[in-house]
Amino acid sequence: MAHSGFDKYAATRASLLGGLAVFLLSACNEVPVERPVVRVAPIPEDALVVDFPTGQFGANIVETLAGDLATVNPLVNESVAGSAVIGRILEGLITLDPNTGEVIPNLAKSWEISDDNLQYTFHLRRGVHWSDGHPFTADDVLFTWSTFFAKELDPDSGEPRLDENGRVQYRYTSRSTFGQMINGQEPTVEKLDAHTVRFTTPEVYAPFLLFGGGEEILPKHILKASFDDGTLMDQWSVETAINEPWKIVGLNMYVLESYRPGERIVFAKNPNYWKVNLDGERLPYVERVITKIVQDVNSSNVAFAQGLTDFESIAPDNVAWVKRGEARFDYTVLDMGPSNQTNFIWFNLNPGKDEEGVPYVEPHKFEWFSDQRFRQAISYGINREGIIRGVYFDRADVLHGYVSPKRKFWYNDAIRKYPYSPETSRALFAEMGFTYKAGKLHDSHGNPIEFSLMTNSSNGLRVEMATVYKENMADLGIEVELQFLDFNTIINKTSDSFNYESCMLGLGGGAPDPYAGKDILMSGGRLHQWYPQQPEPATEWEARIDELMLQIGRYTDVEKRKAYFFEVQTILAEQQPLIFLVSPKDFTGYRNRWQNVDPTPLGGVTWNEESLWAVPN
Amino acid sequence: MISFIFRRLFTLIPLLLGITMLVFILMSLAPGDFLTPVKAQRDVPAELIEAIEAEFGLDRPWYVQYVKWLGNVVQGNLGHSWAYKLPVVDLIGQRLWATFLLSLSAFVFAWGVAIPLGVLAAIYKDSIFDRIASALAYAALSIPEFFLALLFVFVAAQTGWFPLGGATSIEYDYLNFFGKVGDRAYHLILPTLALGIGSIASIMRIMRANFLDTIRADFVTTARAKGLSEFVVMFKHALRNAINPLVSSFGFAFSGLLSGALMVEIVLQYPGLGQLMYQSILREDQFVVLASVMMGCSMLVFGNLLADILLAWSDPRIRLEKKK
Repeated sequence: MAHSGFDKYAATRASLLGGLAVFLLSACNEVPVERPVVRVAPIPEDALVVDFPTGQFGANIVETLAGDLATVNPLVNESVAGSAVIGRILEGLITLDPNTGEVIPNLAKSWEISDDNLQYTFHLRRGVHWSDGHPFTADDVLFTWSTFFAKELDPDSGEPRLDENGRVQYRYTSRSTFGQMINGQEPTVEKLDAHTVRFTTPEVYAPFLLFGGGEEILPKHILKASFDDGTLMDQWSVETAINEPWKIVGLNMYVLESYRPGERIVFAKNPNYWKVNLDGERLPYVERVITKIVQDVNSSNVAFAQGLTDFESIAPDNVAWVKRGEARFDYTVLDMGPSNQTNFIWFNLNPGKDEEGVPYVEPHKFEWFSDQRFRQAISYGINREGIIRGVYFDRADVLHGYVSPKRKFWYNDAIRKYPYSPETSRALFAEMGFTYKAGKLHDSHGNPIEFSLMTNSSNGLRVEMATVYKENMADLGIEVELQFLDFNTIINKTSDSFNYESCMLGLGGGAPDPYAGKDILMSGGRLHQWYPQQPEPATEWEARIDELMLQIGRYTDVEKRKAYFFEVQTILAEQQPLIFLVSPKDFTGYRNRWQNVDPTPLGGVTWNEESLWAVPN
Repeated sequence: MISFIFRRLFTLIPLLLGITMLVFILMSLAPGDFLTPVKAQRDVPAELIEAIEAEFGLDRPWYVQYVKWLGNVVQGNLGHSWAYKLPVVDLIGQRLWATFLLSLSAFVFAWGVAIPLGVLAAIYKDSIFDRIASALAYAALSIPEFFLALLFVFVAAQTGWFPLGGATSIEYDYLNFFGKVGDRAYHLILPTLALGIGSIASIMRIMRANFLDTIRADFVTTARAKGLSEFVVMFKHALRNAINPLVSSFGFAFSGLLSGALMVEIVLQYPGLGQLMYQSILREDQFVVLASVMMGCSMLVFGNLLADILLAWSDPRIRLEKKK
């Protein structure tokens, strides 16, 4: 039989496929592993009583997260999505007041700062337990800090091992290892008793209370073994989150219940949380948080607009259509005022040359860029209101300086401002000896004023802003060539090859302490965009900013720090090394079924998540 | 047979070497590296970036990195993902099933629909059925997969009949067994359609052409002359002969089983391997990219091998051994 093979083949194929399908479907239905029983400790004697009306327990929050989880280990995490997840599980000793932005107690119920401003003594809440029921003590704080500064020791001498460049090698190099170092020296921490720890900074360092106190505390009883055997950085990976989520133990209001890569993260309430309501019942009211993982902010906004999620922060360009569903899906969209987001332009002020001896910026252009009047003239020539109307449809505010008005406490309103005034620009250009020939601006040597501006193509709003800017400059007789590039290319150019003329980027996040901006503002900083990592301050005003920033780091007196930071803002506004454009507004949405909602500009809508409740459905 | 399989697998070695080296060169030519986005963040100390650069070997030229990576691979270590801090094998393993399930269902759907359609179109050649099927096939062929996926997203968003992405619903973990299977299937509908429709058209066209060739062959006339019923002639004699060329397309389909769904996964937000690969490429998470490329390449070789073996099995005219 010539063709008998086919029957066999068909039968085999059918059974093979069928078998596989059944196997697959059953494979995704594996029996859940037994979770350990969690001991519920009594309510802590130092429990924080939250002052919101008492509500009903048991509702679930459904929300979205733009971007997937890469790790739950705070020592390893570098992504925003990761921080959002870790931030729900772990807690710091202090936190920030959602209204004023001041440092307020969290896991530490109080603290004292010594008279010489070098010692910080934190008193931890008594009776607090980790989510698995293990007591939380000073040892956990000490353990957390020991992970930052643990060194590779030479087995023979017992001395720390050095690398080729003579630097100390750390066992677990994390963001905190260098981030918590003060001028290259480590702060130390000691245990005074089970509920008191004392930090000593090597020199006076004002932001320590915020940066040091805000550090998320890790559970010693869970992680000590891996610290000892060197696998600390491999702990709490996504593998743990998938297979043994109960091993990720925290002090915040949730614990991880389950995680499916690319699909969703489910948090359950922490049965040992340390905040209670006015009736003395343990919070939070929420039973579970179900977080659906989506690709980007737009898909996240779509989900909210269809009434699928409970809380959402809405991008300014999506607000109009999201608002349309308010009545139908019973949610509210709130304007939270200016955001932390800033957008700015800068000119390349790097006077250096590349390996072949060619200057990064052509000398005649460098002459324009480095002239304060030139930068001021450009700033006067930008129609920021036009950008707000045309690009943001009025959902943004003019940004005058380095600090967004959102950070009320640090915001200096008395700085020089640059209202749209092409006449002032022309007057400044004339003062510099620039002239117009056939409508085009030329410098005193007869060179036409032309330069390029690069920005990242992935940010649509920025691309539109750059287009408005080009038009504004054309009105002044300046030709701007726009380059829309990949983000990595831009970072390479601004931090490595320096072959660009000007750039438009933005900063987000807005660190709560001015000292967090030292990398941007100080002349030696890595993100001192216009001329990073200067060996010596290139100009007098940069030297002055360096000095002021050092003072801001050194003084703990808030009023003094404020005065110094105001001067920094004044200098930046005068010099315009960064020409600020606009700051988009923040918009937040929530479904109306939620009670105790009390949005604040700094804390958003979920700062009091432990008190939010809804009738369970 | 065995020596044939070995010979085929042996060609994998130079192939993989060449492809991985190409990937390394391309990734070193691409602007920036895994750490570039981190460099743009203000709260990351410069010392940390240097330390990580040294740890990842990113401060070395690409060929040094390549040789080091190759050394590890030979010892069976595909490396760690930089973003996930996990062995690449585990990471791929997490996503493998979702993609495999999708590709398999698209495969079964496409072949299950296309073969009968192709046969019917050939039997009723030039009928109205044949014309409509051909017109639809051309239409399906000319719509790119990703566009179809976008259309489906739009339909799902407008009507609410289908889920907007994902592989399971929120309440999945609380469903019983049949609920879970149903939920998976419900989430597979759109991706399966998006992935399958394009291949239905091409398989159907091939099937139709083959079948037409076969039914004109002499043995079909002989079979009819024997007095066999038309049904037996068509489905027992003609079909078996006509399907042989499709067995080699089966090899190609197999090779796309794990990597072919990339576009559809991204557009329909299906959490599979394609999404992981795409994000790794964007992030320049080197070892994950390399492992996926190697996997795709190996699947192609295995797919072709499988097709050849199946052909030899189903068609006695083909012999894999060299004639003595």
